[in-house]
Amino acid sequence: MMRTAISILKKDLRMEFRSKESILAMWIFSLLIFVIFNFTFEVSRLVMLEIAPGLLWVAFVFSGMFGLNQSFALEKENGNLRAMALMPVDGGQIYVGKFFSVTIIMLMFEALIFPIFIIFYDLQLSLGMFRLIPVLLAGTIGFTSLGTILSAVAVHTRNQQILLSLLLWPLVSPIIIWSVTLTGMVLSGEVTEAFYPLLLRVGAFDVIFFTLSYMLFDFILED
Amino acid sequence: MGVPALEVLGISKDFGRIIALRGVSFSVQSGEFVSILGRNGAGKTTLLNIISGVSRPSEGEVKLFGTDPSDRENKAKLAVISHEMFLYGNLTAIENLEYYSRIYNVPNPKQRIETVLNDVELTHRRFDLVATYSRGMTQRLTIARALLHEPSLLLLDEPFTGLDQHAIGMLITLLKKQKEMGRTILLTTHDLHTANELSDRYIVISKHKIVMDGLMTDTNPDAIREKFFSAEAGGIDS
Ligand SMILES: Nc1ncnc2c1ncn2[C@@H]1O[C@H](COP(=O)(O)OP(=O)(O)OP(=O)(O)O)[C@@H](O)[C@H]1O
Ligand SMILES: [Mg+2]
Repeated sequence: MMRTAISILKKDLRMEFRSKESILAMWIFSLLIFVIFNFTFEVSRLVMLEIAPGLLWVAFVFSGMFGLNQSFALEKENGNLRAMALMPVDGGQIYVGKFFSVTIIMLMFEALIFPIFIIFYDLQLSLGMFRLIPVLLAGTIGFTSLGTILSAVAVHTRNQQILLSLLLWPLVSPIIIWSVTLTGMVLSGEVTEAFYPLLLRVGAFDVIFFTLSYMLFDFILED
Repeated sequence: MGVPALEVLGISKDFGRIIALRGVSFSVQSGEFVSILGRNGAGKTTLLNIISGVSRPSEGEVKLFGTDPSDRENKAKLAVISHEMFLYGNLTAIENLEYYSRIYNVPNPKQRIETVLNDVELTHRRFDLVATYSRGMTQRLTIARALLHEPSLLLLDEPFTGLDQHAIGMLITLLKKQKEMGRTILLTTHDLHTANELSDRYIVISKHKIVMDGLMTDTNPDAIREKFFSAEAGGIDS
């Protein structure tokens, strides 16, 4: 059953690690975001901490967009998306494979970006920060579960990247906004009782996006 | 005769204002080798895309082995060679073939991969990235990939493109072997002599319609050229 998904995942990760440019490009880009915001705005440390979670997610989301575009450009390149439509497999399996590869790559980017962030904002590492793990996971999965199916839609059109942005942003922004709020709570050490219900809400959206995309992917693969 | 391998029933296809096919019908028995001929823009590629199920007809329907082309069992029996390579440049030949043999659930993949690579004479380059291949080598690997899962219905859209004389001979030999094994083959080509050498039957499409459907034994390449592809036979199709 999962054979197809795993084959696609393995193939994607192999290619991703082979072309290391994208990882490097992403890393430098994030560095730039942090540098610019750190040195252009002369604000107090308190204000800085207020906007830091937002900046972190800006970097994450851009790396995610980058990963999505990269991943589907590979499929479009030699008609491989058409090859996928011809495969004797369930479209849902193809979705699962692409979803996992895009998600793993985005999480990897995040793992590379986060240390720079910690250093730039001179944050204290604490045990409470482990709460960031479910937050990053939930936010990332929301982004990639939608991003994967919308990329497959956008790939058929000429202005692929514009269409992807137009479709993705309105749908994904609530998830990102909630993730920023949650990240802010963890970083400031002020985890209120609103934390878990909000986290649960992001998780619920993840489940909905994932399930719908899984069921719809067969239709997307046809022209 | 049992269920035909392929039935095309009253297919029409429009792309907006552009007409590609109008009321095309024919059927192909298992084991038949059919060449589809026609000028640039006649609608040959469109027809093959509809048969393989990647494109929907505006009207009419297609049946493979008596059922819907999008059935999983039908997809597993089908191979498509088109101008698209269906290969990842950033993977080696072996990695590409391994990937597809898992997807198509090929039994004994190692051995099968060795066989197809040998068939297209690429064994010596198997560990190189496909992106570093020449055009003709890529086309040969595309052929190997298509034959990997031992398909029983082959749709070949100008498969000789980019091949040198030697490789053309190699592909002809391969296709003859496929025919001997009882595979059903549809081929589009602009090379009437090759079409004549390989196929049992030919279909000519002109002005979006089938204008000729006959046996190769009843004709010869020059007669076909004279009748359908000469200057007197009329303008272009697109
Ligand atoms: N995706 C498309 N969008 C718009 N028009 C298309 C599309 N695909 C094909 N057509 C049109 O349909 C007609 C038939 O095209 P098709 O590619 O099937 O011809 P062909 O017989 O394969 O030609 P060739 O010998 O050049 O390969 C042409 O007029 C072409 O412009
Ligand atoms: Mg064509």
